[in-house]
Amino acid sequence: MALMHVENLKMHFSGIAAVDNLSFDVQEGSITSLIGPNGAGKTSVFNCMTGFYKATSGEIAFMGTSLINIKPYKITEMGIIRTFQNVRLFKNLTVLENVMSGAHSNTKQSVFGALLRPAAQRREEKEILERAEHYIDYIGISDKKGYLAKNLSYGDQRRTEWARALAANPKLLLLDEPAAGLNHDEKEKLLELISQFRDELGITVFIIEHDIDLVMKISEKVIVVNFGKKIAEGVPEAVRKDPLVIEAYLGRDS
Amino acid sequence: MKLRDRISSWLESKFIQAAASAALLAFMALLPLFTDNYYQNIVWNAFFYMLLALGLNIIVGYCGLCDLGYASKFAIGAYTTGILIKTYHWNFWATLPVSIIISIVSSVIIGLPTLKLRSDYLAIVTLGFAEIVRITARNLKITGAATGLIAIPRPTFFGIRLVKITHWYYVFLILVVIYIIISFRIRNSRFGRALAYIREDEDAAEAMGVNTSLYKLYAYVLGAVLGGVTGSFYAVKMTSISPGSFDFNQSVNVLLAVILGGMGKVPGVVLGAAFFALFPEFFRDIPVIGDMRMLFFGLLLIAVIIAKPQGLWPERNK
Repeated sequence: MALMHVENLKMHFSGIAAVDNLSFDVQEGSITSLIGPNGAGKTSVFNCMTGFYKATSGEIAFMGTSLINIKPYKITEMGIIRTFQNVRLFKNLTVLENVMSGAHSNTKQSVFGALLRPAAQRREEKEILERAEHYIDYIGISDKKGYLAKNLSYGDQRRTEWARALAANPKLLLLDEPAAGLNHDEKEKLLELISQFRDELGITVFIIEHDIDLVMKISEKVIVVNFGKKIAEGVPEAVRKDPLVIEAYLGRDS
Repeated sequence: MKLRDRISSWLESKFIQAAASAALLAFMALLPLFTDNYYQNIVWNAFFYMLLALGLNIIVGYCGLCDLGYASKFAIGAYTTGILIKTYHWNFWATLPVSIIISIVSSVIIGLPTLKLRSDYLAIVTLGFAEIVRITARNLKITGAATGLIAIPRPTFFGIRLVKITHWYYVFLILVVIYIIISFRIRNSRFGRALAYIREDEDAAEAMGVNTSLYKLYAYVLGAVLGGVTGSFYAVKMTSISPGSFDFNQSVNVLLAVILGGMGKVPGVVLGAAFFALFPEFFRDIPVIGDMRMLFFGLLLIAVIIAKPQGLWPERNK
């Protein structure tokens, strides 16, 4: 069974179909990419998968459980963590506090824990802190731990967002244009990191990109969309040669 | 190192913080020995504003919700205690749990439907609710209509009847310390961080698994409970309460104290409230300027908001 199963997904915005009858599977342990030119509807797919948009029709299931009409925070609790296209960090908080937010979805202490500080609360706080520090180290931004997020360079903001996502111990990691705004070296480093997420941490990765070359290098499967419709699906080499894909990216000979 | 960096790193040193807090607390505890009732009452008033500001800070500073009707929260506490003592002859201390429960119930009723709204709509709803509370209090018989409740008996504490201003000075000082501890405990917890995530970016908070509607409600209720308890103590300290004590000005004053000191920063909020309560007093006796003290105060507020929109308390390092 596929980890994530999307069937006949439709997302309409007042008559305009951003996603049109899209179906695909994400296999457990794979790196799968959804690519397409700008405005192809990629982020809409993402927002439907994470509960931020309510799909017009169709089915999205994670490990056999439907995600339709489930609130975003519940979907996060199920182990699906997303990043944002234009990094969305908590700007006036430190890198450490940002990454600690990752642990929110699978920890419990609430108001009374905060006020009364029972042993369980102190234990959990310690665990959250250790987990956050572990992933800050893992991503390689330990020297920035105490910085406010807004004072970081763009590359470090990206890295903080990844550390935050990892701290949630996700089963499925959804990366929305992870390479946007990164330079060549940073992109190479990113490719390495994404492979590590899967190989070392056992996380299934689903990437949205318009940079076709980047995803070709690491994906086992590539799904190509244009105008909300799937135009190709398969291993990178085959997709790259597909005439419809070439047309979508380069335009038709006139 | 720039002076500003040096000041903030100095403020961040744990030892300095602990030493300064202990010294300040000792000073505040000993102050009544050297001052008369007049000054004690002025400082008491500052404590009172600190309590209100610390309560509102949970809602506005920690969670970023705009509440323009905080006076209603402390009115609810004050009237609950006042009515139970005056009409039903309850012991003051027994009214506190009731005051807390009524604060919870009323803030859930108002918060549940409105916290789904964007922040600016919430401001309008809270403003409206505060007016409803005030006008209701002015028109009901049980709340004493426009005269309010008068001659509310003073409570006793371990056999001491709390009648002197010095007594109230210490009661409110202890409350301030408790509220500060509560504020810090919340700030440094999973719950408090979740509120900060909501304040910074609600969508990202939701994406990290924060049940944003529920946590906003928690923050709102907690702020209301702190306000209600403050109101209960206010009622027995003043011995009389009337709808005029809980008007829109009062809500704005508390909000300004929070903004002035620096939203979400506990020492800043305490400082802001102290400044707000004490500033007009310092200028009262100076000729000419004394009469225009609120004008100067207004100008100062504008200057602070333009120059330091993050409030008077310094920003954290880096």
